[in-house]
Amino acid sequence: MIIRKLKPIMALVLMVLSMVGGIAHAETMLSAREVVDKFQGQLLAVMKIGKQLGYAGRYDKLYDAVATSHDLTKIARIVIGKEWEKLTEAQQKNLTDVFSKLSVASYAHNFKDYSGETFTIDSEENTARGGVIVHAHLTIPGDKDVKFDYMLKDNGDSWRIINIIADGVSDLALKRSDYTAVLQNEGFDALMVKINDKISNYSKQE
Amino acid sequence: MNKPRGSHRLLNSGLLPCMALSLFMASGCAASGPAGQAHPFNKIDPYENVNRNIYKFNDMVDDYVAGPISDAYRYITPKFVQTGIANAFANIKNINVVFNDVLQAKFVQGAEDTGRFAINTTIGVAGLFDVAKSLSLEQHQEDFDQTLAVWGFSKGAYLVVPFLGPSTVRGVPGAAFDTAVNPTSYVATPFQALSMLNARANADGALRFIDEAALDPYVFTRESFLQWRDNLATDGKSNANTGLGDEEMDADLAGTTAKGGVLTMDKFGFGKASHTFAIVKDSFDQTTLAFEQANSKLDMLELSHSKWLMVSPK
Repeated sequence: MIIRKLKPIMALVLMVLSMVGGIAHAETMLSAREVVDKFQGQLLAVMKIGKQLGYAGRYDKLYDAVATSHDLTKIARIVIGKEWEKLTEAQQKNLTDVFSKLSVASYAHNFKDYSGETFTIDSEENTARGGVIVHAHLTIPGDKDVKFDYMLKDNGDSWRIINIIADGVSDLALKRSDYTAVLQNEGFDALMVKINDKISNYSKQE
Repeated sequence: MNKPRGSHRLLNSGLLPCMALSLFMASGCAASGPAGQAHPFNKIDPYENVNRNIYKFNDMVDDYVAGPISDAYRYITPKFVQTGIANAFANIKNINVVFNDVLQAKFVQGAEDTGRFAINTTIGVAGLFDVAKSLSLEQHQEDFDQTLAVWGFSKGAYLVVPFLGPSTVRGVPGAAFDTAVNPTSYVATPFQALSMLNARANADGALRFIDEAALDPYVFTRESFLQWRDNLATDGKSNANTGLGDEEMDADLAGTTAKGGVLTMDKFGFGKASHTFAIVKDSFDQTTLAFEQANSKLDMLELSHSKWLMVSPK
């Protein structure tokens, strides 16, 4: 009898516990600015030991850094645009996998060493559709600063980078034109061959 | 006085570019025919077939002539000399920058750029040293194409110019005006050649990057050029700098438009709210499930307790 009376109280306790769990999750979620800051820190850390690591070492170190800060699946879908719907499920999966590898490979190739570069976050702004743009710049000693604008969206679990605009040139728009041109002119298989060739070329460099 | 060589004469008279252009027009027409590769119509690049042929030609010229000469220049010239030469030509170009500052009514920037030019020409020994940089006088990029943009002229179609590379309908007169204003155009031929060599050597990194990153180098060059020019023309304030509309930025768009409804809701910002409700609903579902499991365990406990009471000796 006593146990029966305890049922609603126990249910209430369970509900409170689940709500506390939800709040704790929200507290651990990094802000858009923190996601960019963390990623830039990881990139600089790899650059500092880039030569010792070599290409393969940089690739391994950067894989998680890129995968947890970028929404690679979403980027792949935007890059392909309307063509995405024309692809089979297997092709979509294949494309996302290869695209993810290429993204990490290009980071590993282009950020191979360190000569005193620093990243600075300047400001952030909210976009009309619930996104955030984090404005930052890369300072290269003896060279002109490069302005980086990171566009992030909340994927439900965390803020993820979906586009980087370097000195006014959008990486996403550039890739979208490039990829859709190949897809429309030469087809899916040619696109895959070209992406794999790029990954292979990157991996042959130091 | 030396007589100009044959090809030089052709260039001066404008015959060679005309011949090259007519050659490309002819091959471009052929390319758009049944035998050639027809590309989907692109509003910004309606002459894509012709442009692609000129691009191929320029690429070939670069591979066999400009590239090797530039490589040799970079190999034999000490880095500090290359930097000095680049600084000197950039300094002379500041005359164009000041001119266009004024035409765009950027008077404060015009005064800064005049100061930059004066300091580098005097203290910087004819521009060989970029002293103004250490005085925090930023190097601005202004040209007549940007001035025309500020005056309201649209860029028009994308063009690839033989030997010179990417441009637009607005960019061609812009470049002609800048060439006329730049003093380098009126100095002796070796200086002009050095200016071109310096420009090619400075572009080396960008060209290598395109080779490494682009799947279709023609499209990659076109898009990066157009975005870069838009960004310069609007001083980095272009709304088009993402290159994509809001709808295109929504990755779920491609998958959800066909299903209907979701896109319309998203327009009113309900997408995120709907997602939050989904999370709350999940939490309640999990709580209910946990409650049901706890309830059945309590029932089992109660049952075994009664059984125990029934079997236990009184």
